[in-house]
Amino acid sequence: MKPFNLIALLLFVGGATWALTRSERTVREIQRGYYSAISPFLKSGSTIESSTRDFLTEVRHSKDLEIELATIKGEIGRLPIIESRCRELERENAQLRHALDFKQGTSFEVVAAQVIRRQPATWWQTVEIDIGENRLIGPQLAVLSNEGLVGIIDRVTETRSSVVLLTDEACQVSAKVEESPEVGILSGQRGLGDGSPMLRLRFLSRDAMLQPGQRVFTTGRGSVFQANILLGTIVSIEKGADDSEALVRPSVNFADLGTVFVVLKQSEPPK
Amino acid sequence: MTRYTIITVLLVLASFVVQQFVPAFTGWHHSRLLIVQLVFLCAAVTVNQPTMLLLAFLCGSLWDAQYTLGPHGGDPEIYSQPVEALRFGYSILLFGGMGFLMQGIQPLFRQGKWYFSALLSGIAVFLYLAGEYGIITIVRGNLVLTHATLRQMVWTSVLTMLLSPLVFWLLSAIARRCHHSIFPEANLKRRRPSF
Repeated sequence: MKPFNLIALLLFVGGATWALTRSERTVREIQRGYYSAISPFLKSGSTIESSTRDFLTEVRHSKDLEIELATIKGEIGRLPIIESRCRELERENAQLRHALDFKQGTSFEVVAAQVIRRQPATWWQTVEIDIGENRLIGPQLAVLSNEGLVGIIDRVTETRSSVVLLTDEACQVSAKVEESPEVGILSGQRGLGDGSPMLRLRFLSRDAMLQPGQRVFTTGRGSVFQANILLGTIVSIEKGADDSEALVRPSVNFADLGTVFVVLKQSEPPK
Repeated sequence: MTRYTIITVLLVLASFVVQQFVPAFTGWHHSRLLIVQLVFLCAAVTVNQPTMLLLAFLCGSLWDAQYTLGPHGGDPEIYSQPVEALRFGYSILLFGGMGFLMQGIQPLFRQGKWYFSALLSGIAVFLYLAGEYGIITIVRGNLVLTHATLRQMVWTSVLTMLLSPLVFWLLSAIARRCHHSIFPEANLKRRRPSF
């Protein structure tokens, strides 16, 4: 091996060792520096992305309109498009009303956010939302939708935050089963790529008397998630030698996340 | 050569920005285009070992800065068995390993047989994903390898590999602009008079 290559290899190994021995705090600082460095690109990229999307939508609409005009050759041809757009607006209106009802009906102090990026990483189930420190968002805050618990805030920058979804193995939630004394830890499962994701409720008692269809809620213990947030519904129960586990279908449709709510206030641990 | 190296480093940095806007193909086994890995792999075969190692360090540390998860938090009495997160810096070693793999067939590449490198880039991406998944399994325990995961790895590798000719063409164009050749032996052969 050439001496220059050997020196480079030694420097590489030294650099890798340095990186692997960084503390949690240093890693967060590195991440913060990285994201603040690329944030101008992300901002301009997002602007270009939305302009392109608008343009493409416009082009698509124009093409649709052209086809409609060619086929019907009259003003009537425009009616279906107008009708579909009205329906779209109606649906959007209903969604927003639903979200507003949720925000008004909840007892937590929440901030609404839009999901701007889904599954950026290969192995982690995460999404990115469009609010960050500018809206007082910090790490380890619960994120909800009008269907139930979505996940937990992981990394926060000035204008963006990363949310670890409930379907990720790393997102653990202290959970209880309705109409039962059973409590356990709910988390996602590794390696489930296709189909609807399922959650696993572990550390239930050996003789847990549970039925499919029973709902699972947060206990509020563990100082991360507030109590009584819907998590999902039991699908099946597996009895083990020492404890039982239940397979839970999440209440949130993670494939269709749009508006989410970040809970600003941490819950008081139950006495 | 120096200009080419600097532009390659800048290209790798640009690939991080591009990667931010590449979505996952959720309907296609959650596969994705790994632009950063692809640019690194293609660049690795065109540069010398110290530059490859510099690129590996850069890519690995920035990749981890982008995706490393923080601790779950919460009361340790309730969350007594937290899921271990991967340490910042593990990707540096994975990128280094992939780089050495690509440099293994550098003699063929220098002869102008870029298609071997293109094929190897797909294999290297698969090994990268398998290595990453292996590390997750070792750190967290409990080996879970489903067909869905395998399909995700295979399709990600194939889709990424299909873009490699484009990156090689880009690197070749950059090299030409910098009065440098990434296929020196092939060019030499062409210049030799034939009898």
